[in-house]
Amino acid sequence: MAIAERGYTHWPGSLEGGRRPWRVLEDFQEMLKGADKFLHINPAYFQAYYGSSFLIFMMLMIMVGSGSGLIADDLRHNSLPLYFSRPLRKRDYVGGKFGALAFFLLLLTLVPGILFILLKLLFAGSFAFLADYPWLPFSFIGWSVFISSFFSLYTLLLSSLGRNRRYAAILMVAAYFLSDVFFGIFYGIFHEPAFCLISVQMNLRQLSAAFLGAKPQFDVPWIYSFLVLSAVMVAAVLVLRRKIRVAEVIR
Amino acid sequence: MSMAPFLSVYRFSAKIVRRSKRTKVFIAVSVLPVILAVVLQINRLASPGRGLDGLAVFSNVVMGFCLQFLVLLLSLFFGTSITADEVDNKTLTYPATRPVSKTAFILGKYAASVSFLLVLVLTSTVVSFLILMADRLSYGAAWAFLGKSLAALGFGTICYTALFTLAGTFLKKSILFGLFFCFGWENVVQYFPGTTQKFTIMHYLKSLLPGMEAGVGGTEGTGLLKFLLFRQEPTPVVTAVITLVILTAVFAGLACWVFSRKEYLFDE
Amino acid sequence: MIPGGLAVRADKLGKWYGNVLGLSDVSIEIRPGITGLLGPNGAGKSTFMKLITGQLRPSIGTVTIDNQPVWNNPEIFRRVGFCPEQDAFYEDTTGREFLSGLLGLSGYSAAEVRDRSDRALAFVGLEDAADRLIRGYSRGMRQRLKISQAIAHEPDILILDEPLNGLDPLSKRKVIKLIKDYRTEGRTVLVSSHVLPEIEALTQSIVLVHQGKILAEGDIHYIRDLIDAHPHVVAVKTGDGRGLAAKFVGEADVLSVRFDETEGTVLFETRNRDRFFERLTRLAADEGLDVEEITSPDDNLQSVFDYLVGK
Repeated sequence: MAIAERGYTHWPGSLEGGRRPWRVLEDFQEMLKGADKFLHINPAYFQAYYGSSFLIFMMLMIMVGSGSGLIADDLRHNSLPLYFSRPLRKRDYVGGKFGALAFFLLLLTLVPGILFILLKLLFAGSFAFLADYPWLPFSFIGWSVFISSFFSLYTLLLSSLGRNRRYAAILMVAAYFLSDVFFGIFYGIFHEPAFCLISVQMNLRQLSAAFLGAKPQFDVPWIYSFLVLSAVMVAAVLVLRRKIRVAEVIR
Repeated sequence: MSMAPFLSVYRFSAKIVRRSKRTKVFIAVSVLPVILAVVLQINRLASPGRGLDGLAVFSNVVMGFCLQFLVLLLSLFFGTSITADEVDNKTLTYPATRPVSKTAFILGKYAASVSFLLVLVLTSTVVSFLILMADRLSYGAAWAFLGKSLAALGFGTICYTALFTLAGTFLKKSILFGLFFCFGWENVVQYFPGTTQKFTIMHYLKSLLPGMEAGVGGTEGTGLLKFLLFRQEPTPVVTAVITLVILTAVFAGLACWVFSRKEYLFDE
Repeated sequence: MIPGGLAVRADKLGKWYGNVLGLSDVSIEIRPGITGLLGPNGAGKSTFMKLITGQLRPSIGTVTIDNQPVWNNPEIFRRVGFCPEQDAFYEDTTGREFLSGLLGLSGYSAAEVRDRSDRALAFVGLEDAADRLIRGYSRGMRQRLKISQAIAHEPDILILDEPLNGLDPLSKRKVIKLIKDYRTEGRTVLVSSHVLPEIEALTQSIVLVHQGKILAEGDIHYIRDLIDAHPHVVAVKTGDGRGLAAKFVGEADVLSVRFDETEGTVLFETRNRDRFFERLTRLAADEGLDVEEITSPDDNLQSVFDYLVGK
């Protein structure tokens, strides 16, 4: 019977002298081997960040925490007339709400992108990176603005559908995950890439890849994803125009 | 504790839950699996050569939609609503000034929400099953799978609603906590190897479902139940059930305890 | 049960919301009859109401009804009815469902719930609207529905928090009549308001609350006397201000006369408001005095409180 079968394994190395506390630093150095790939900032790096589920989930949490009550609370307290009794137009009201939420979302999108670039330039000590990818700053700025605008309008749309911020929060998350669940089920059964168009997350990933010059996950033209997301934004604007009434009936 | 106050709260709450406009939206969401089943079944019948197995599709719907989405979402909304709605709408004053103990109030409202959710989720699941298995209703293993699915969905509804009832009693932003828990913690940690996955409720719910090794009859070799391999180290069914029951009792008990000691101030 | 005889008693009652004082060192006994709880907004009336209905736990002191503590004592609510200040309802139910549901919580049988809800709805004049959704009710109907849920189980103690708030004069009269009708022998009714005439229309017995403390309690005439003893400013807008001033300046109770040129008014400071108004009315009638407007800038509760606390 081989020793390994009894639960033992042979170690082929040789014993060295006793460890000293500073050997921890050597272990740390060992751990960092290969970590230098994180310093290779390139378009794929940006795509990995901007297309990550984690980023989108955190944006969703910001939307739920800060955005769900933006319009729902005003509807609940009948405070729209207070806004419109000032020299404000509907577009000022919606624009203000939009701007407040977009600011927080840009903190998660635009700010990290700028930091990535700055750190890269700082550590590289040259502008070669910008010379190699001169379009990259414009790409991530454009994408940050697009995704933040999309989510801001998405939030305002769902926040305007009721007077309860908790209900709006649930709707926000439900609509997002529902589209993803349906994509998962249909794609799992039919293996048809075009089903990615029904998922908000997949559409965002497809489009972020197009913006950042990376290869999209599914072999579906990015323009379709752009059209789907744009349709949601247009629908949001139309619904907001209907829902935000200057005159409100107060009981 | 006398049952009369509990039953009166239950009846009153059930009526309010049924009447709420928001409930109608959630009814529409819970009908989605049925619509999905109809679409998929029509597709199967239209292209019989594609080899889609009705049971495999059903298990996909149960796992992908009902268990990991619908149950979480409904439990989160209705569970947190038990206290938060009363505080947000400033209606808590009415039940608080009746001869009903705070424990009876929480348990009555919890029972009303859970029974409503069970009707929604289980009905939708059974109807989806009947549609997808319309041509193989005599297949015994499929019924066994349905039974286990219903058990997992039922326990999921009961346990998650209890947890979110507790969250609603003491957290101001209980929805945010719930969303982090459902789509952050539960969605991720259940896939961790070793003991860590046992810190999720979903682990115990999935333990109630048949694993790949059990082989839901007729699906071996199709590979369509591969997703069940997600469940890496299942807990024995009896242990899972006991754990779920204990968790539910602890969450509901804590919710009653917190509610009977906390003062609720309305936003002025 | 024979109604009556129940007293609400607070002993050294205090309530803080964090660092904010809601109520401080309140010791009081509210006996059968109608008692008005009077105080400006933010005085602590609602805090007191919430403490005596067990919605808040006292930070210090005790509050009892019929010698039983109120906090976490649901049984006490078989004998207490409470009408909250906030305009809050289960909006998707009908008036009858709302009332029946709450009566159900009081433990009545189905038949008794039906009977009592019918009677309560009739009492507040909502029989015709009983099967409509509450979200479609007017403000007055909502207020009456709130009162009906407080009286439907015929409590010995009725506590009404600002029941006349936001009502038009007609609805106010209806609600005042309802409250007076409910007062049967021995029952305890506590009504809060920040408007003196509203309380005057209901009762003679009042408790004055200000900045979380009880300033005075007792007969309303006492408060009235304090008000009357306190110099009042009356502004009269007229075309002949100096002529009017000349007719009053010799009166003993007129302490001073000032002219507000920009507003075109004469400001009289008088020690006896009733006598001043009587004379002014007579002058207007007998001598055809052209009076456009009469206002009393300090004829409000706040000024009475300011006076009482010596500001």
